[in-house]
Amino acid sequence: MAVAVAGQLNLDETPTWGSRSVDVYEKIEQIGEGTYGQVYMAREIATGEVVALKKVRMDNEKEGFPITAIREIKILKKLQHANVIKLKEIVTSKGPEKEDNIKPGEANKFKGSIYMVFEYMDHDLTGLSDRPGMRFSIPQIKCYMKQLLTGLHYCHVNQVLHRDIKGSNLLIDNNGILKLADFGLARSFSNDQNGQPLTNRVITLWYRPPELLMGSTKYTPAVDMWSVGCIFAELLNGKPILPGRNENEQFHKICELCGSPDETNWPRVSQLPYYNQFKSERPFKRRVKDVFKHFDRHALDLLERMLTLDPDHRICAKDALDAEYFWTEPFPCQPSSLPKYEASHEFQTKKKRQQQRQQQEEQAKRMKVQHHPAPHTRLPPIQQQPLRPGSHQPGHNLGAPVHANGVPNQHNNNYNNRSQGGNNQGRAPGGRPPHGGPSQNGGFGGPNRNGPGGVYGAPGQQQPGAYTAPNMGHQGGRGGGYGGPAGGAYAAGPYGGGKVPPVGRGQQFGGMPGGPQPPAYGYMQQPTAQYVDIDGAYARASHSGFQPPSPPHRPDYRQQQR
Amino acid sequence: MAANFWASSHCKKLLDQEEVSQVAQIDAERGLTPEDVKLMKIQFSSYIKTIGGHAKVRQRVVATAIAYFRRIYTRKSFSEFDPRLVAPTCLYLASKAEESTVQAKILVFYSKKIRGTFSYLYTSPEDKAYRYDVKDILEMEMRLLEALDYYLVIYHPYRPLIQLLQDCNMPTEMTPFTWSLVNDSYRTDLILMYPPFMIALACIYIASVLNEKDTRSWFEELRVDMNVIKNIAMEILDFYDNYRDIPGERINAAVSKLPHRPCLYEEHIWLRRVFLEGRVN
Repeated sequence: MAVAVAGQLNLDETPTWGSRSVDVYEKIEQIGEGTYGQVYMAREIATGEVVALKKVRMDNEKEGFPITAIREIKILKKLQHANVIKLKEIVTSKGPEKEDNIKPGEANKFKGSIYMVFEYMDHDLTGLSDRPGMRFSIPQIKCYMKQLLTGLHYCHVNQVLHRDIKGSNLLIDNNGILKLADFGLARSFSNDQNGQPLTNRVITLWYRPPELLMGSTKYTPAVDMWSVGCIFAELLNGKPILPGRNENEQFHKICELCGSPDETNWPRVSQLPYYNQFKSERPFKRRVKDVFKHFDRHALDLLERMLTLDPDHRICAKDALDAEYFWTEPFPCQPSSLPKYEASHEFQTKKKRQQQRQQQEEQAKRMKVQHHPAPHTRLPPIQQQPLRPGSHQPGHNLGAPVHANGVPNQHNNNYNNRSQGGNNQGRAPGGRPPHGGPSQNGGFGGPNRNGPGGVYGAPGQQQPGAYTAPNMGHQGGRGGGYGGPAGGAYAAGPYGGGKVPPVGRGQQFGGMPGGPQPPAYGYMQQPTAQYVDIDGAYARASHSGFQPPSPPHRPDYRQQQR
Repeated sequence: MAANFWASSHCKKLLDQEEVSQVAQIDAERGLTPEDVKLMKIQFSSYIKTIGGHAKVRQRVVATAIAYFRRIYTRKSFSEFDPRLVAPTCLYLASKAEESTVQAKILVFYSKKIRGTFSYLYTSPEDKAYRYDVKDILEMEMRLLEALDYYLVIYHPYRPLIQLLQDCNMPTEMTPFTWSLVNDSYRTDLILMYPPFMIALACIYIASVLNEKDTRSWFEELRVDMNVIKNIAMEILDFYDNYRDIPGERINAAVSKLPHRPCLYEEHIWLRRVFLEGRVN
């Protein structure tokens, strides 16, 4: 923090420690309902820049600042990628605001709130695809999928699991850039097999992979890839493919589509906690290829590999980017070539539709005519099947031209980059100032997505005790857990054990006459090695008697909706 | 974990000796000397470690908590941020950030339990610090988050230490010793000043000299600035020479210079007004 010269104002620098007040922004409207608060579109008064404010509600928190928010902040401060939402800053409000509706007498309990400030994004994928009359083109879908996989690959190589991939968490700006948002359930993981067990109560039910449904607590980035597969199929299919209403039904739907898991298609599956509970009398056959036979060959091939039951054999983000699908015509288009739409967030689209329905109902009442509003449906894309010209799907040619939304053949994409596979797409986020705001987790079903009363972890299935997995147990004799890797170091070491290194300093350095004196290379200039966290390494060495964090309680918003 | 140290806020916010050891003006006015501050930081580091040990958190949590504690007092004063509350709160926050959450009430319980051992941290039985409770920790947590600017990731020397120890062919029986040197480096402000791997190297350096193991050629190959390594090593040895046993009275003298009641700050005034006058629009 630079201090201004006496008598002069320090205009050049904003103080770096401590946060600004939310008053530097003016709220425009609510654009989403998050797990721990609302999301607003807002404008920075000084610059006019539009941002998204995500509120972290602090009242009703028995354990202080929510650990989910801490995770999200920690992770977002670390991730910097064109396809990951950017956390611009964190601002605080000192007192209650008008929308907090504090009753008199409660005011003294109020603790103020914290807002995460994100770049504003115009759409989320669900909101966009639910727009009436919206139909994505194949190059457009490829373009979104490619960006989704690129962003996810970045997260995974940086050892972050997103754990809530779904349409409403994929934000899209008017330059066609897609960004992953809502890292409220995200977690960093270590590749270490002895890592802490993770909670299986994550990922919205429809996008939840079978290993989580069966209670796995040691899972991998493959969980996110399952969700990606569901979204991919949803984009091509025009509606969610696995809309289970509860965990049992979800599992059943997965089995119907992907076959029943057994030791042949998924080694060691029977060791999962709820394997027997979900076991059905009559095993199902895998019929992904039949159900989605109208998809083109490469799309189907990629989908098959994403919706693989065995997480160890499920395709990873890097390989998915290398799939034929993205490297055959029609190629993914350039994000900037995509049409620009009026802002649409799932929260708003849903609200608008509700209003419309109400109006219609009122009208119907007035006219005393029974009127059922037509259920909203998404239009699936027109499947191009250059390779299988014979299999014409009448249901999917509704007359619109192939590039219905003004996307001409933008095939000249960066397919030369194919060797990169991952991050390096050379695609800067458009020329415009970044936009983007997490319409957090909306997930509100439109009329066509009614139903899922998605129970997050059926009661009684996942008790906290389940987390004290065997490897968390007491590793007795480890020197009280405080020592070094060999245990006992703490007790034996100088740290209070009373032993001091038996040297005076003179002797110390005298022992090495002259000492090594290599040329002074700027040690800061050689960032060759990555120094990663100690988590895994330490977990092995230490006795960790404490219970891992309680699973994030994310009440299913669809239930709240009711 | 994600990203790497060089791109991290930890790296970008490394401080130099002067920034680390300056005394806040408000503290200086109360008569706290740089030496007082240094002693208190050392004492509260072991205070954090002791509570952490009782609450059975991982060592990493303790290390992160101490780093938070030290980082906060490079910017904030002891007078406004009562260290007897900040210390358990740092532990609380670190336990969340390091994914091994401890309930606030457990920290309160143990900080009360060890009051006897650390009696010199309190001036009198009427001391407000005796009565810190869960709600105080939760309130302080928010202030600490803000003081830390929400930068919660701390890189520690432990992982580089393991890699480096393997690389330099140090006999394995040296590992616990070197590890405890790293533990002790948290009694200093080194974690705020140097990249963690440099601290790890300095500890290896000390360990090799003490055990008469010749690592000169290995250090030469690394091409690190040995002057920096030696400075770090001197700092650690200085701790052993001069600060290992700090008399309780000395700490008590420093603590008694703190205001008995922490200064009222903006939020308190605001809350008090809300409380007295009812709703404020």
